[in-house]
Amino acid sequence: MLLKLIGSLLIMAASSFLGVYFSKECARRPRELRELQRLLQMFENEISFLSSTVTEAFIKLSGYYESNIRLFFSQAAEILMHKNGINASEAWEMAVKENIKKTALKKEDEAIVLSFGKMLGASDLEGQISNIRLTLTQLKMQEEKAEEEKEKNKTMYMNLGVLGGLAIVIILI
Amino acid sequence: MVTEDEEVKNEISFYNMLKEEIFNFLPLELKNILLKIDPKELETIEEIRLRAGKPLMLESCSGSWFVNQRGRLEKNCTNEKVVFQHEIIKAFELMSQNSIYAFLEDIRNGFITLKGGHRVGIAGRVVVEGGIVKNIKDMSALNIRVSKEVRGCSKKIMKYIVKNKNDIYSTLIVSPPQCGKTTMLRDIARNISNGIKSMSFNGIKVGIVDERSEIASCHKGIAQNDVGIRTDVLDGCPKAIGMTMMLRSMSPKVIITDEIGNSGDMEAVMQVINAGTRIIASAHGYNISELKTRKEVLGLIEQKAFERYIVLDNSQGPGTLKEVIDGITMKGVQQDAS
Repeated sequence: MLLKLIGSLLIMAASSFLGVYFSKECARRPRELRELQRLLQMFENEISFLSSTVTEAFIKLSGYYESNIRLFFSQAAEILMHKNGINASEAWEMAVKENIKKTALKKEDEAIVLSFGKMLGASDLEGQISNIRLTLTQLKMQEEKAEEEKEKNKTMYMNLGVLGGLAIVIILI
Repeated sequence: MVTEDEEVKNEISFYNMLKEEIFNFLPLELKNILLKIDPKELETIEEIRLRAGKPLMLESCSGSWFVNQRGRLEKNCTNEKVVFQHEIIKAFELMSQNSIYAFLEDIRNGFITLKGGHRVGIAGRVVVEGGIVKNIKDMSALNIRVSKEVRGCSKKIMKYIVKNKNDIYSTLIVSPPQCGKTTMLRDIARNISNGIKSMSFNGIKVGIVDERSEIASCHKGIAQNDVGIRTDVLDGCPKAIGMTMMLRSMSPKVIITDEIGNSGDMEAVMQVINAGTRIIASAHGYNISELKTRKEVLGLIEQKAFERYIVLDNSQGPGTLKEVIDGITMKGVQQDAS
């Protein structure tokens, strides 16, 4: 009897943990989207007020946050520093494609992030700023969508975890 | 005296410099072709020319050369390696460190300066708004001018410039294009600023007004060429304004500037002279009488602004000394007397 009790407690604990984990995961995507927006805003400041080069700005930006979003910037900067005849838009594409898996961003977010790179560094300041602004509005929309999704899924995962555990326990007993 | 060993070392470092400071900023395909060229062939290189739809070309002392796929230099056009416009645009993106927006001021003047002092001239479709050049787009040609510092090239002429151990003569250097005017000015600046031990000349404060970023070749405000320890550089500033600014702000003993002869230059130079500051400048021309046909320069000659005129030509390589003329008497200075 005691063994059964311990076993069912363990199952309950594990499944609730899974539920909490997944509901936390839901919150990651909107958070990362917000962070990306903030980084892009800082990038705008870097190039318009300090007229830093793309590489300089990216190195600076990658020091600001701890999350995986910064990997886009740090890796792109690293590629550019090697000077292998790779320009900024190519470096950005490489860095994003390599690191997108480590973030919670979805395919549709990736498309926006990649299209940001197409113009990167290749125009005058106004062009750069309008490119950043466009990307920011698109990311804002994605963030709102992600936020809604998060609210929906968060409780669902939580409930699913606890109740699922309960169900397993009942079946096994 | 340069020993043979040192010469070999110089060659290697010149090639490394080319690789580091220029080839690294070219698209991979072009870079690989240039790397195949025998380093010996590149010793005298002056320009690398990229033109959309035209073969890759190098300019050196011995004329222009076409580069083929295997990195051989040929006199006749083979059309083997054609440069594409997208390569030119990419090269330009790389040269501006992927930050064209940060170099827009330079682009409007038609060139950017690379780290190391190499100037890259740009041609393409110019965007004009309200009579002012806003940008150059659809680039069709790049001219990469390899900058070479020739240390000690002014050795022969320093004795005509130095007056006593703390003072120099105001000097105008006259020479046709491509004869080493700017290189000479740079070396003079370094000598005056550092002082010359053998002539027991103490260094004095030098201010360089570098309108076209040619003398000091500043990259982001830092002089890439060695212009001496007591030298301040005002980079990219129009000469006439720059000379006045320099005079007020940095209290130089000598102001050095390139290619005078535009309107407004005369007044600025006279202002410098009247403030008791010396001036060393250069002007395009083959001789003094040709200079006199230009109004601004004639005014300066008549007001005896310069105490020395040094005429250079190309007869024995760039920077050959042709004559030295005293600005007060307008007679030749004995070249043998020191």
